[in-house]
Amino acid sequence: MNAYLAYFAKRLVQFVVVVFIGVNLAFVITHASPIDPVEQSIAAVTSFGSTAPEAIAAMRSSLQELYGLKGTVAEQYVTFWSRVLRGDFGPSLSAFPTPVSSLIGRALPWTAGLLIVSTLITWVLGNLLGGLAGYYQRNRTLKLMGVVAMGVHPIPYYIVALMLLIIFGFLWPVLPITGGSAMNLQQGWNWPFVSSVARHSILPALSLILIGLGSWFLGMRSLVSNIVTEDYVVYAETAGLDSRRVLGSYVMRNALAPQVTGLAMSLGGIFNGAVITEKVFGYPGVGTLLVDAVYAGDYGLVLGVTTVSIIAVSVGVLVIDLLYPLIDPRVELR
Amino acid sequence: MTRLRAWLLAAALLALAIPFSPTPATAQGIPQNIPRKELLILENPEGTIKNAGWFNIWAINAGSQSNGLQQAALDTLWYIDPEKGLDGPWYNSLAADKPVYNADFTEMRVKLRRGLFWSDGVEFSSADVKATIDIQVKNANMRFSAVLANNVASVEAPDAETVIFKLKKPNSRFHTNFTVRWGAVWILPKHVFDKVEDPAKFDFNKPVTLGAYTLHSFDPDGKWYIWQLREDWQRTSLGSLGKPGPKYLAYVDPGPPDKRVIAQLNHELDVIHDIAPEGMFTLAKQDKGTRAWFKGFPYGHPDPTLPAVIFNTQNENLKNRDVRWALALMIDVKAVSMAAYRGAATISAIAVPPTGIHPEAYHKPMEAWLKDFEIDTGKSKVKPYDPTVGKQIAEMLRPSMGDQIPSDPAVIGNSFGLGWWKTNVAAAGELLTRAGFRKQGNQWMTPDGKPFVVRLMVEGDLRPVMTRAGTMIVQQWKQAGIDARIDVAQGTLVTRRAAGDFDSFIGWSVETWGGHQDLSYFMDSWHSQFVAEPGKPQPLRNWQRWTHPELDKIIEDIRKIDFDDPKGVELGRDYVKLMTREMPIIPLMAYNVFTAMDQTYWTGYPTSDDPYANPVTNWGNSRYMFVRLKPAN
Repeated sequence: MNAYLAYFAKRLVQFVVVVFIGVNLAFVITHASPIDPVEQSIAAVTSFGSTAPEAIAAMRSSLQELYGLKGTVAEQYVTFWSRVLRGDFGPSLSAFPTPVSSLIGRALPWTAGLLIVSTLITWVLGNLLGGLAGYYQRNRTLKLMGVVAMGVHPIPYYIVALMLLIIFGFLWPVLPITGGSAMNLQQGWNWPFVSSVARHSILPALSLILIGLGSWFLGMRSLVSNIVTEDYVVYAETAGLDSRRVLGSYVMRNALAPQVTGLAMSLGGIFNGAVITEKVFGYPGVGTLLVDAVYAGDYGLVLGVTTVSIIAVSVGVLVIDLLYPLIDPRVELR
Repeated sequence: MTRLRAWLLAAALLALAIPFSPTPATAQGIPQNIPRKELLILENPEGTIKNAGWFNIWAINAGSQSNGLQQAALDTLWYIDPEKGLDGPWYNSLAADKPVYNADFTEMRVKLRRGLFWSDGVEFSSADVKATIDIQVKNANMRFSAVLANNVASVEAPDAETVIFKLKKPNSRFHTNFTVRWGAVWILPKHVFDKVEDPAKFDFNKPVTLGAYTLHSFDPDGKWYIWQLREDWQRTSLGSLGKPGPKYLAYVDPGPPDKRVIAQLNHELDVIHDIAPEGMFTLAKQDKGTRAWFKGFPYGHPDPTLPAVIFNTQNENLKNRDVRWALALMIDVKAVSMAAYRGAATISAIAVPPTGIHPEAYHKPMEAWLKDFEIDTGKSKVKPYDPTVGKQIAEMLRPSMGDQIPSDPAVIGNSFGLGWWKTNVAAAGELLTRAGFRKQGNQWMTPDGKPFVVRLMVEGDLRPVMTRAGTMIVQQWKQAGIDARIDVAQGTLVTRRAAGDFDSFIGWSVETWGGHQDLSYFMDSWHSQFVAEPGKPQPLRNWQRWTHPELDKIIEDIRKIDFDDPKGVELGRDYVKLMTREMPIIPLMAYNVFTAMDQTYWTGYPTSDDPYANPVTNWGNSRYMFVRLKPAN
C-alpha cells in the first residue's frame, strides 16, 4: 500500500508539472499571436459606417484599457494565474464582457456529449470487431470488415463528412445537416428537444465513428493476432477451454491494456473539440469557439479553452497511470 | 459465429431504422411550430454567435449585429439605399425630414416623426435620441462613444420632436453617423437604459425594439434567431411603407457554402447572403426558383465597395507613381475576373465602385476623359484605357454560358462594367526604367540593384474570391519580371493592414453610399492629417497611406459643401482624375455578393430589374425588401 501511495504522489507531482508547463506555454503562444484584438474590435465596431480617424484613436486607447492590455506582460501573467486558480478566465475579448467560463460552459456539453458517445462507440465497436477478427482469422465477414476498415481509415475526414452530408442531406434528405437541434425548440430535458439533439448528432457521430473505427479495429486485430500465438493461449486451447472464454479471458483482456490507454488519451483530447466536425456539420462546440477566438486574437478565450484541454488530457493520463497497476499487475510501482 | 452474424445483421438494421423513421419534413432545418408560408429564412453571415443572448448593440463588439437586430429590430434617423430605393434612395426613418445645418455646420437640427412606438408601448421621442448620445458620451467604453464624444459638444431636446446637436467643430457630414448604409448609430430606448447601472454591461435581453419586428426566440448556442412582426407594426417607420410580408424572420447560420447551396435546394434557406460563384452557378442550373440580383451572368449584387490592389505608398519602391502604373499595366483584368469570379464580376477602371448611382454619376460621364487619358512613359505616349474590356469579358463567356450572357450593350455595361487598362508590358517597362529600375535577364531590379520584390497580401480561405484574384495578379507580375509573391495573411490581415505591414494587398479602401453620389463616406479619412507615420497604426480607411495636396484640397472643399450639393459630383470627378493619374490603388471590380433568393415561398425580391432595395441579408437597409415580399402561391 505504501508503494502505491508513493507511486500516486509521484504521478501527482508529474501531473502538476505537466499542467503548469502546458498552461505557461499556452500563455506564451497566445501572447505571441500577431493578431491584435484591439484592431479586430475596431474593424468590427467601425464597420457600421464612416468613423473619424480621431475617434478611432480614442477608441483604440479605450479598448486597450478595457481589455486589460495596457499593463506589462508580467502583470498580465500574474493576473492570468490568479484567475486560473479561481477557475475564472476573465472576459472574452471578442464577446466582451461575457466571461470566458460562460462561453466554454455553454459549448462544452455539446462537444462532450458528441465526442464521448462517439469515442466510446468507436472504441467498443472497433475493439470488439478487431478482437474477433484477430481471433477468428478465417471468418469471411470479419475479413471483409478488415478490408473495409483499411479502406475507410485513410480517407480524409472531411471527405467522409461531405459524402454523408450529400447523401443524407441532399440525395436522400432524411437527416438534419446543420446545428445541434431543430430551431425553435425549448432547450431542456423534454422529449422534442432530446430527440432532436439525438437526430442532429447522428451524422456528425457517424462520420467520427466511420473514420475512428478503422484504427481501433486494426490495432486490436493486430494485438490479438500476436496474442493468439502466446503459449498461455495455445495451452488454454489445447486444454479444451471454450473458445469464447479463451477469447474473452485470455486474449482480449490482455490485448486491452494499451487500448485503454489510447481511450483515456482520446477522452482527454475531446476537450479540444472536433473543429472540422463542428464546421462541416454546423455543430456547436468548443472547437469552433477556439478557432474563432484565434482569428479574433481573443487571448482570454484561447487560453481558457487550451487550459481546460491541457488539464483534461493530463487528468486522463493521470487516471490511467493510477489505474494501471491495479488492472495490469505487470506494471511495477516505480 | 452464426449467432455473431445474426447480431451484426440486427444491429445494422436497427442502426438504419432508428434515424430514418421520422418524416423528412421534420428532419431538416426549419423552425418548428411556425407555418412555413409565414416565415422568411435568411442567412446570418456572422455564423454562430458566441454570446447569443446579448442584444446590446451599443456595447463594444459584444453580440451579433446581423442576426436580425439591425435589420428588423433597431431604427435610426435616416437610411440611404445603395440602390434606387422604394421612393428614391433617401429615407427619413425616425426623422421627419432631412437634417438642417447652420451656416458653418456647427449645429444640426432634426425634426422627428411622431406616432412611432417602442415594442413595449412607450412612445419614441427626442428624449431617446438625446439619451443615445448622452449615455455613450458619458460611458467611454461603448460602441459609438468615441464618434459621438469626438463630435458632439451638447445635445438638446427642446420638445418631443426636435433635437439640436451642437458640434465641437464644423462637420457637414455629421448626420451620416445616423444614416444607415450598412449600419449606423442606432437609437436606444431611454426608458430601458435609464434603469441600468452600467449600460456597457447590460445584455438588453429581451430587446425592446423600435423596428417592425420583435424577438420571438433564439438559440442559446447562437445558431438561429427568430423575429416576429409586431402587432402594432403600423406604429414603426417601416410600417409607414406598408405591411411587411413575412410574419416571422429567421436569421440562421447555415454553415459553409456547400451547405448553403444544399439548404436552398431543399428550400430551407430563402436568402443566402453570399456563396462562391460556383455555388451560384449550381443553384442557377439546378433550382429554377432561385433568383440572383442579375437574372443571368454575372448574378451577384455589386456592393458599393471597390476591391483593389492597395499599395503601401510608404514603401520606398512604391512611392513613385510610375512604378504603381507599371504594375497596373502588367495586369490583364479579364484573367483576374475569370480567376476571381469565373467572369461574374463588374469591373471598374476608376476608383469608384461601379454600382448604385455611380455609373451614371461617374463612370459613364468620364468615359470620354478616360479615352483621352494619356501616359507619358518617357519614351512613348500611350492611351491605356480600353473601353471594350467589359464587352470582351461577356464575349469570352458567351460560348460556355450561352443565353445567360446579355447581348444588349447597355446591359453588358451595367453587368460586366465598361472599360479597363490595356495590358501593356512594354509601356510598363518604360515606366519602370524611368523610375530608375533596370532589367537583368527577365528580372526587374530596383534602383539600388536588388530584385524588385512585391508581396501581395490576401486573406486566404477567409476570402477565397479575392485570394484567387490576388494569385492571378501575382502570376501576371511574375511573368512580367517582377519578383511577386503571394502573402497569405489569413486572420492577421486586419492587424497587418492597420500596422502598414504589407507591400500591397487585395482589399478595399473605397466604400461609398451607392445610392448617393457623395464620396466623403470614405474620402474624408484620406486627408493627410490622418496618415500615420510608418510603423504606427493607420486609422480607417486610407490603408494605402497616400497623401497628395490636391486630394487634401478636394476633401476640404467637400467638407465645406452640403451633402446634396451638386458640386460634390464635380469634386468627386476631380478625385477620380487624380486617382487615375497617381494610381495609389489599382481599382479592379465591385465586390459582387452572390445573394441567392429562393422564390419557392416568397416572391418580390429586389433585383437589377426592380432595384428597390439591397437584398444582401446583413445590411441594415435590407429591411426595405420585407414590405415588398409576398407569399408565393
